[in-house]
Amino acid sequence: MRQLFAFLFRRTLGGLFTIWALFTMTFVIYWAIPNQPASFVYHAPHLSDYQIRHADHLLGIDKSKLTLYGEYLWHLVQGDFGHSWAGAGFTLVNNDKVTLFPVWPQLSSALPRTLSLMLGGAFLVVLLALPLGAIAGKRIGSLSDRTISLIALVGICTHPMVVGLILRGLFVDHLHWAPPIGYCPITAPSGRPSPGQVVSGFGGGCGGVVDWASHLVLPWVTFALLFLALYTRMIRASVAETLPEDFVRTARAKGVGELRLMLRHVLPNAGLRVLTMVGMEIGTVIGVAVYIEAVYSLGGLGSLAVQAFIGGPFGGPLDLPVVLAAVTMIAVIVVVGNLIVDALYAIIDPRLRFAHENMRSKSLAGGVI
Amino acid sequence: MSRTATAWTGTSPHRRKAPPRRCSSSAPTGILGHDEFIRVLDGGKASLEIALGAVIVSLLIGLPLGAVAGYFGGLREAIVSRFTETVMAFPLILFLVFASVQLDAQLTPIGWGQIFPRGVFAEALLIGVFTSFYPTRLIRAALLPLRDAEFVEAARMVGASSWRILRKHLFPHLVPTLIVWGAIAIATNILLELGLSFIGAGVQPETPTWGSLLSTTWGTVYQPQTFNSENFTVWQTVFPTLFILVTVVSLNQLSEGIRRATEPRGAR
Repeated sequence: MRQLFAFLFRRTLGGLFTIWALFTMTFVIYWAIPNQPASFVYHAPHLSDYQIRHADHLLGIDKSKLTLYGEYLWHLVQGDFGHSWAGAGFTLVNNDKVTLFPVWPQLSSALPRTLSLMLGGAFLVVLLALPLGAIAGKRIGSLSDRTISLIALVGICTHPMVVGLILRGLFVDHLHWAPPIGYCPITAPSGRPSPGQVVSGFGGGCGGVVDWASHLVLPWVTFALLFLALYTRMIRASVAETLPEDFVRTARAKGVGELRLMLRHVLPNAGLRVLTMVGMEIGTVIGVAVYIEAVYSLGGLGSLAVQAFIGGPFGGPLDLPVVLAAVTMIAVIVVVGNLIVDALYAIIDPRLRFAHENMRSKSLAGGVI
Repeated sequence: MSRTATAWTGTSPHRRKAPPRRCSSSAPTGILGHDEFIRVLDGGKASLEIALGAVIVSLLIGLPLGAVAGYFGGLREAIVSRFTETVMAFPLILFLVFASVQLDAQLTPIGWGQIFPRGVFAEALLIGVFTSFYPTRLIRAALLPLRDAEFVEAARMVGASSWRILRKHLFPHLVPTLIVWGAIAIATNILLELGLSFIGAGVQPETPTWGSLLSTTWGTVYQPQTFNSENFTVWQTVFPTLFILVTVVSLNQLSEGIRRATEPRGAR
């Protein structure tokens, strides 16, 4: 047990280092590329030196870069993501005061959306991949095996954006089987959207578990179709490897039924591989979320990050506090997710506790991120 | 491929057919009346150039880095490993979006005359740089157990330099791993290029790639469009997708075959 905690402590330190390193890299890169924060305050093609200095003063960045870095980092450690620069120009009062809006509300509204998509999607993937992988692995080379492999491959070669838009066009716009696109907060009080409301995902009108889940069914399916291929193949390989083992024969000799044999003796062996894979794919999943969120207007962390990195849909100056917040938040999700996977891993199989660090490689789905 | 395609059909990806026809079985045309078949073939050229170019770029970066980390060890390994781990924790596509938007003006015009279509080299370079962490880790992992192998010690004993040991004794061991990785990486790079086109950070639509062909029908992440049969035909989605499918499947089969052929124990 002590060994376990020492291991987790080491991994936590490593994770903190990753978060810090990404934060620092973003900060350095931001000031290394040509950027003009002053254009958030003054919307003009050419700014005078005075305007630039004045705007920097208003935004609170008229300090040495090192002081600024220390300040941002210190605020972050305290859990303060700072204030967005966007819209500073519109709140300019008497040319000497701007009102800046905190970044945290944006982040905290995006976070549950992305997490709902990720966790629900992952659950659906496992739910579908286990039976499919087991069927395929049991009869390698059979017609059902080939069909499953082919469908899985089609899923991986069609971009999630295209899959999502086809599903949306079919089930939302054409057949009206699914509710309109958008996100319904799980915590909001449930209530029927008023009949005249076209998109119920924005603002009030919908909420609660049922609305939340029904609005996320299509995003989850889109998500699952992409990752299904990978996990089905992995479980298939694991099942095919395990079936000739002695303990399977023993179990059969005891008279264990086929279903119980699969569930109790064969499939748990695939669990470790699946877990390793999940740990590696957390970053990938956030990348995929960019497309799925865009298709279903979920407005999560992926959309936020892309907007921040490009500077809005039409390009423009980069909003450093938002960029830093997005990078840090994504890093935190990846690090925390990996810690959970590591802990589960160490608990399930102590033998492999230290070995799997070198096993990390990326899957084919990594390309879509 | 483009030249061949042009020679076969006597038309070019930029020539327009008039009038645009919908759902004609022989030659469906796009919104501007382009010949879709030619554009798919030509897009394949650009997509494969990007994918293959990116693999070469990432090998050029990953090979020395991985060799340093795996062979020399110590502080150098620690630095390289920390760095790759940090970068790999972050979603790759976001790096790519950031870099391609910020460096677009500098990189896009590079085409070395007419060898590469506009923007292709830039995208290959960016994808290559940001995917070079995978070969780095692969090579490091492959070299670690070989570092103290007997044949390396023997070479060291007879006075071979590190460079010679790496070149003559260790790199040949990496070739099967790298070929397998390369085949998979071409497939993932094709999909990455698709993703970049959907964010609007990829090659501009004037250069057809499989990604930009698909994004004419389906829009970008800022403005996703559901299918609109007034302006688009299903073929504009089916053919690029089918070509990607065939490419990815054959690359997968290739890598599987190479893996099987080079696996010393002859297992699966």
